[in-house]
Amino acid sequence: MKSCVRDWRNIESFLAERLMGVKKIIFDRRTLVGICIIFLLSVFLGSVANIGLIKRYLKGEFKQAFISRESFPGLVFISLPEAEELWFSRQAIFIDSRSREEYQLGHIPGAVSLPLVEAKREKIKFFENFPPGTALVIYCEGGDCQTSLNLGKILYQRGFKNIRIYSGGWTEWVNAGKPVEK
Amino acid sequence: MGKCRKTSGKMKNLLKNRYFLLGLRLIVGGIFIWAAISKIADPLSFAQDVKNYRLVGQLLSFLTALFLPWIELITGIFLILGIFPRACALLLSLLLTFFIILVTITIIRGIDVECGCFGTFSRRTDFWLILEDLIWLIISLLLLFSPANDFSLFRFRNENHKMAQESEEIN
Repeated sequence: MKSCVRDWRNIESFLAERLMGVKKIIFDRRTLVGICIIFLLSVFLGSVANIGLIKRYLKGEFKQAFISRESFPGLVFISLPEAEELWFSRQAIFIDSRSREEYQLGHIPGAVSLPLVEAKREKIKFFENFPPGTALVIYCEGGDCQTSLNLGKILYQRGFKNIRIYSGGWTEWVNAGKPVEK
Repeated sequence: MGKCRKTSGKMKNLLKNRYFLLGLRLIVGGIFIWAAISKIADPLSFAQDVKNYRLVGQLLSFLTALFLPWIELITGIFLILGIFPRACALLLSLLLTFFIILVTITIIRGIDVECGCFGTFSRRTDFWLILEDLIWLIISLLLLFSPANDFSLFRFRNENHKMAQESEEIN
C-alpha cells in the first residue's frame, strides 16, 4: 500500500515537472515574439499580394460566391422570379445537384438529377443527353449549400457556357409554394 | 525487457539528434511551403474551399484565404531556415490540431467537400486525411518539445562569431 502511494506521488511529481516544461516552452518570450512576427509578416504580405482582390471584395463583387467574372463569364446567379420565369418558359434545363436520395424525396418538376460527386467522373450519361450549348439552371438545398456553384464550375469547364445558379435553391422554391415533383 | 529499453534508448538518442530533427523540419516545412504556394496561386478558389466547409461566412472565408496561406509559407520557410523554430513548431501544431478538428466535424456533419489543403491538388475530407494530419502533428510536437531543435541560422551565426572572437584572441 505504502509503495503504491509512493509510486503515485512519483507519477504526480513527474507529470507536474513535465507540465512545467511544456508551459516554459509554450510561454517562452522568444516563442511568442516569433509567433507575433510571423502573424504580422503574413498579414502584411497577404494584404500587399491581394490588394486587387480586397478592393473587389469591398466593392461587393464576391457577395454570392468566390468566382472571378473573368474566369467564368457565362456563370450567373439568379433569384426566385428569374428561376420561375425560366421554368415556366422552359428556356433552360433545371439541374438538381443534391444527392439522389434528396432528389427522390422531392425536386423541381422536370429537373434532372446530377449529384456533384457523379459530375466529377469523366463519362456520365448527362453529357451525352445535353449538348454543351444548352442553357442550365443549377440548384441545391439553398441557404449556405455550395454544391450548385461547384457543379456549375465543373460543367462550365466541360463546355457549358450558359449557366445560371439559383442560389435560393430547393428550400426557397418549396417555401414559396411553387410546384414540386416526387 | 532489455530489448525494449534498448529500443527506447535508441529512440531517445534519435530525438536528440540535431540532424534527424533538421530532416523532420525539412519535410514538414517543405510540405507547408508547397501547400501554401498552391493556395497563394489561386486565393479565390481557396476562399470557396473554405466556404464549402459551411462553418464560417463570406468575410471570414475571404480573410482566411488571404492570410492563412502566407502564415503557412512564412512558417515553413522559417522552420527550414531555423528562424524561431519553436514558434514555428508551435504554430504548425496549433494549425494541424485545428485542421484535424475541422475535418472531423465536417465528416460527422456528412458534408462532402474537398479539403482545400493543396489548391488544385486537393483531395476529399476523409479518415485518411485525419491520419495524415495526425502524422504531421506528431512530427510538429516532436520539434516543439525536443531539446535539440536548435539547429538554426542564428546558432550558426553565433558559433561563427564565437570562432572569430576566439581566433582574434589567439592572434
